[in-house]
Amino acid sequence: MASRVATVRPPAVHTVRLTTTRFARTWPYVVPALFFFVGWQLWPIFRALWISFTDFSFLLDASPGSAKWVWFDNYVTAFHDPLVREGLMRAAIFTAIFLPGMVFLPMVTAVLVDRVQNRRLASAYRLILLIPAMIPGPLIFVLWIWMYSNGIGPINYFLVNLLHIYDVTNQPTWLGSTDLTFLSIALMEWWWGLGFHTMFYLAGLATIPKELYESARVDGASEWRIFWKITFARLRPILLVLVVLRFGTAFALIDEYILLGGFNRDRPTYTWTVYMWDTAFQVGDQNRGYAAAVGWIGTLGMLAVVLWLFYLFRNRD
Amino acid sequence: MAVRAETRQVRAVRRPAPQRRRLAWGPVVKHGVLLCACGVILFPLFWVLLLSIKSLPDAYTNRIWPHHFDFGSYHRALTTIDTLPQNFRNSIIVTLATMLITTTIAVLAGYALVHLPMPGKGLVLAILVTSLFVPSRVTGLISIWEIQDRLGLINSTWGLILPYQTLALAVSVFIMRGVFETIPKELPESARVDGASSFMILRRIMLPLVRNGVIVVLMTNFIAAWGEWLLANTLTNDQDKRTLTVVMASADAGFGQWVWPNIAAMYVVAIVPGLIAFAFVQRWYMRGLQEGALKG
Repeated sequence: MASRVATVRPPAVHTVRLTTTRFARTWPYVVPALFFFVGWQLWPIFRALWISFTDFSFLLDASPGSAKWVWFDNYVTAFHDPLVREGLMRAAIFTAIFLPGMVFLPMVTAVLVDRVQNRRLASAYRLILLIPAMIPGPLIFVLWIWMYSNGIGPINYFLVNLLHIYDVTNQPTWLGSTDLTFLSIALMEWWWGLGFHTMFYLAGLATIPKELYESARVDGASEWRIFWKITFARLRPILLVLVVLRFGTAFALIDEYILLGGFNRDRPTYTWTVYMWDTAFQVGDQNRGYAAAVGWIGTLGMLAVVLWLFYLFRNRD
Repeated sequence: MAVRAETRQVRAVRRPAPQRRRLAWGPVVKHGVLLCACGVILFPLFWVLLLSIKSLPDAYTNRIWPHHFDFGSYHRALTTIDTLPQNFRNSIIVTLATMLITTTIAVLAGYALVHLPMPGKGLVLAILVTSLFVPSRVTGLISIWEIQDRLGLINSTWGLILPYQTLALAVSVFIMRGVFETIPKELPESARVDGASSFMILRRIMLPLVRNGVIVVLMTNFIAAWGEWLLANTLTNDQDKRTLTVVMASADAGFGQWVWPNIAAMYVVAIVPGLIAFAFVQRWYMRGLQEGALKG
């Protein structure tokens, strides 16, 4: 018995020591990344959760610590706040408009680019399509504010002065009117994301062996059928990943709403994110406790849908 | 040679007639759609470029192609908007710092997550993946403000560098992880047997191999930091502390010092560095994307 214990023990000690040395030798590589990740991404969001249970108002309290702990008061108020409900609804409507175009337009583009046989031409298309991806988002939004403008905007210049479809009195106000605003923002987002998302699909298309197409053609399958059964089927995983990722970004947009829509509460761009920012940094006593609660409601709603999407997509495959 | 010629002939004979007819309109549609897409992509950029060199009357009458060109707007923008050189410097500072720091830490983390026997690897990956689906930039903003306030970094340009590290951190780590995964495990293994330390392996063997991925990460962080608006707008107040993007976004476009050709010139100056950088690195960037950056 004693000898057996003796033979068992050293490996146990050995593994413990091995794990610690492994820690010491490998974690220094991830610690710098984790420092920033935890410090400015993970901690802030949980700190915001903590703040959401207080009545911390920036202009009344010195710090969140000196504010009163109010448990779920902010959340109860938020659930009865029409602006929160409206804000979530508006974000959902925009997501519904934006998402189909953002996943299907690049797919069609990718299929077309993939069929360009001339190498030079194919890479030229890729490069041109990628140009907007090399411009930072907020700068894209600034440019499109000008594109949509009634005064300087070339879009209305075409419609009014060149094509005479509208005149100055009835020209479309792309960003001002409630009906067109989301479509205008979605168009801008598609313009911006087309090339980058096309690259995802092209990477997927590159993995489809060409023999599959050839044998399908030999079997007499129609091009349409080939597209659905081979191309679309193979691209589906990428499509689903993009749906989940883009849902996440679309539901929590804020820069474009503030830049293109401002803080007018009647505008569709006044979503839960803008409401949160407005409440926290601009309006009244800057009630950051309440703003944090609004932020967390939006975040939880988003996470719930993401989980639901994951469940939905996993089920089908 | 003869054989090849023969097969070519056979193929030509076998090709059925209907396919030839389809080929006649297929490429037209294909290239037509793609050329239209390229036109739509390029038009706004050409428009703003033209606007920056239009004379004032042409700019305000909306003519697409101006009667008179005026290249003085670039000079005027820099002289009449007195904070502009400073804003430009601010943007360069925060962007370069973000590119260098985030890329370095993403390379280190990506390397450890793939090629080192790291305990807790799965947990780190799981947290990073989850962060992609949480709008922490929006919801955490209130607390980011608090942290920066505690550190005395509100209204500080340099202070922006800290929160900027997280703009594309998770994505950068995933890109580097994807690229590191394309390197066979046997390579570092054999170097380790020869006595090389893990850092030596990274520097001497890995870095040259993941060069394209590093380019992708550098570009990603350049784009994220150069045009960042929300944090910079929330955390700084004075115009001379702000970055180019924030100043341009809040400009009262069309009036006074912000007359259209001036602001368009400013815009061109703001987007050209990225486009030039992309023109230079596009070959490696494209390869980096293909090498697994897109799988991350």
